Amino acid sequence: MKYIKIAAAVTAIALAATACGGDKKDDAGSGKDPATLKVWMMGDGTPEQTKFLDGVETEFKQKHPNTDVQIKYVPWPQVANAFQKAAAGGEGPDVTELGNTDVQSHIEQGNLYDISDRVSGWADAKTLNKTALENDKADGKTYAVPWYGGVRGVWYRKDWFDKAGLTAPKNWAELTAAAKKIQDQEKVPGIGVPTDQTNALLSFIWGDGGEVALKEGGKWVGKLDSPQVKEAVEYYTGLISKEKVAPEKYVGKNELDGPQNDFALGKLGMYVDGSWAYAQMKKISPKNADKWAVFPIPAKDGGNAPALAGGSDVAVWKDTKAPAAAFDYITVLNNAKNAAAWADISGFSSMRSDVKFSDPRLAVFTDIAGNTKFAPISSGWGEFEQAKKVLPNALKAIVQGKSVDDELKKANEQANTLLNP
Amino acid sequence: MLDTAPAVRTAPDRDDPGPARPRRRFRPGPYLLILPTVAVIAVLMFWPIVQIGIMSFQKVGTRQLRGEPAEQVGLDNFRTIVDDPFFWQTLRHTVLFAVVAVVLTMVVGTLIGLLLNKLGRRMANVVAGGVLVAWATPPVTAAIIFSWLFGSTGGLVNWTLDKLPDALVGGGWDDHNWFATPLSTYTVLTICVVWQACPFVAVSVLAGLKSVPSELYEAARVDGSSAWRSFWSITVPLLKPIFLLLIVMSIIWDFKVFTQLFIMSGLANRDAFNLSLYAYSEAFGSLNPKLGMGSAIAVVLTLLLLVVTAVYVRVMVRQGETR
Repeated sequence: MKYIKIAAAVTAIALAATACGGDKKDDAGSGKDPATLKVWMMGDGTPEQTKFLDGVETEFKQKHPNTDVQIKYVPWPQVANAFQKAAAGGEGPDVTELGNTDVQSHIEQGNLYDISDRVSGWADAKTLNKTALENDKADGKTYAVPWYGGVRGVWYRKDWFDKAGLTAPKNWAELTAAAKKIQDQEKVPGIGVPTDQTNALLSFIWGDGGEVALKEGGKWVGKLDSPQVKEAVEYYTGLISKEKVAPEKYVGKNELDGPQNDFALGKLGMYVDGSWAYAQMKKISPKNADKWAVFPIPAKDGGNAPALAGGSDVAVWKDTKAPAAAFDYITVLNNAKNAAAWADISGFSSMRSDVKFSDPRLAVFTDIAGNTKFAPISSGWGEFEQAKKVLPNALKAIVQGKSVDDELKKANEQANTLLNP
Repeated sequence: MLDTAPAVRTAPDRDDPGPARPRRRFRPGPYLLILPTVAVIAVLMFWPIVQIGIMSFQKVGTRQLRGEPAEQVGLDNFRTIVDDPFFWQTLRHTVLFAVVAVVLTMVVGTLIGLLLNKLGRRMANVVAGGVLVAWATPPVTAAIIFSWLFGSTGGLVNWTLDKLPDALVGGGWDDHNWFATPLSTYTVLTICVVWQACPFVAVSVLAGLKSVPSELYEAARVDGSSAWRSFWSITVPLLKPIFLLLIVMSIIWDFKVFTQLFIMSGLANRDAFNLSLYAYSEAFGSLNPKLGMGSAIAVVLTLLLLVVTAVYVRVMVRQGETR
């Protein structure tokens, strides 16, 4: 893999050094239909997704009969690399899905086509989630539109909870108690607390009224040294080191590196993941699938903690030769009918206010989605979270005995610099 | 290559004897034969190296990849690196790992080589076959196998340690996380890398041993020398050139280990980074690539390896002289 990456990077660099001069005039080609429209979707792709996208293509072709849609799935771990190569080598998509936390980085790097006018001319745009759409803007211009949202909750075993006489925990104390009880009763770790799972940590920070950073006077100011964040981090890491209801084996891992697998196999009491995990876990072991259930991550003193508004947006890639067809594809992909179909297939909630889940099992996620927050909308978030992994590494150090105050102070300094690139 | 030097050297009376002096005339044949290789290496290796050198003095992100001119920042990248304690931590990991891994590779490899030399034909084939499988395994495959072996769910190592009596190995192995701390991560990494590297040493040592005249050992045995003494007084001095080469090559290989560590502990565990992983995470870790910083780290690593390579070349040249 290393060599492929290096070779690709080398090619990319060489191409960048030699070619790529001059700006394209885009409006020239916008009237004509391209022979193919390249669409990048994130993730591994499932047969259901492919079938859904085939349907979208058929519908798209009614308007653009001469254009073939070519779908490419980019697995999430390779996303950063794929886009770098696309930017450097010109072999990019026309339309692409983007993780919503990455949109600002893309805009900052000039990867996305300005679709402000097209969005304002699109009737359905009014149904789109306002906060999510805000995340797609910079300097008053729109570069992407929200497609679907994903929020996470705590997966648990209904049968184990019933046997222990437990109900869904309403606050942190109850969560700890439930984990303890399950651990004693079932002889499996009570809850999975991976240190490389910032989406879960954020809910605990927000659930105690803390923040990672706030924008003050046009600048991001780190808030990780506040007492609320300290308390949240101490609670989160304390589940491992103090209460001992979470195993140390997930230190340095993310929720897919063990917890998901273990939970599906009945070797873990609870863990934090999204609605989409249901389908993934059924692939691992469908045996107990009917006993899996979800409750919202509780806030410290009761109520739902705000969940990280995860999810994806769709955008037109800067280098496209057919921005009009590309945007048309987006409008078909996210029309009311397809949005509803996609929500049911994927388990993700639609970003259209007029589309709701039809599956009762996922109703709890609609409840969770009622209280969401975004990670700092800064192009530096990618550096902070992906390249430097500031919070995961701070958590890991704390679990392994380093001082909470020192680690959070260091993390806060990094937030101050990295979030203001 | 040029014809000036031979002209001076050629003595008039030695002009004719033909076949003995072919190197005096410039012959394009060999150069033509090597030309494709050089061309490929130039495009795939030298050009990128030059690019990395240039980029290490620049600020390069995605916008620059798209063709915008890069900002020259002089020595800033290098200054940032040297001022960052994290760089020194990764350098320490790189060097310590190389030292431990090279020593272990040499010891284990030599022992296997000696064993192969002693064994009868059939057993030698079995052992050699087993050893060569390790050599033939691609690093990616080996890394995945080892991260499964040492995995915390269903890992064979934890399972075995858990089954062993607690008095011997202690308890609580069931959920042990081998990749939680740098020391244990590097322990697994060392085992994996040594396992893959020692076959080359073993085979090289075996080849050397085959060339040692058996009379020497017989004479030593007659004089009452122990096997230990024979090894240090006969084998080591005679195989010294081979050992030197193997050590230098192992240092180079172990300095730039990337694949195994990348797969085992990945980008999430910064406390276990080595130089290669640090360079990679800066350059490709996020959507905001810092190719300049990554290049600067790569340049530092390259310079370190060049020093080792210089030693290697020296050893090679010296060997040529003594022969």
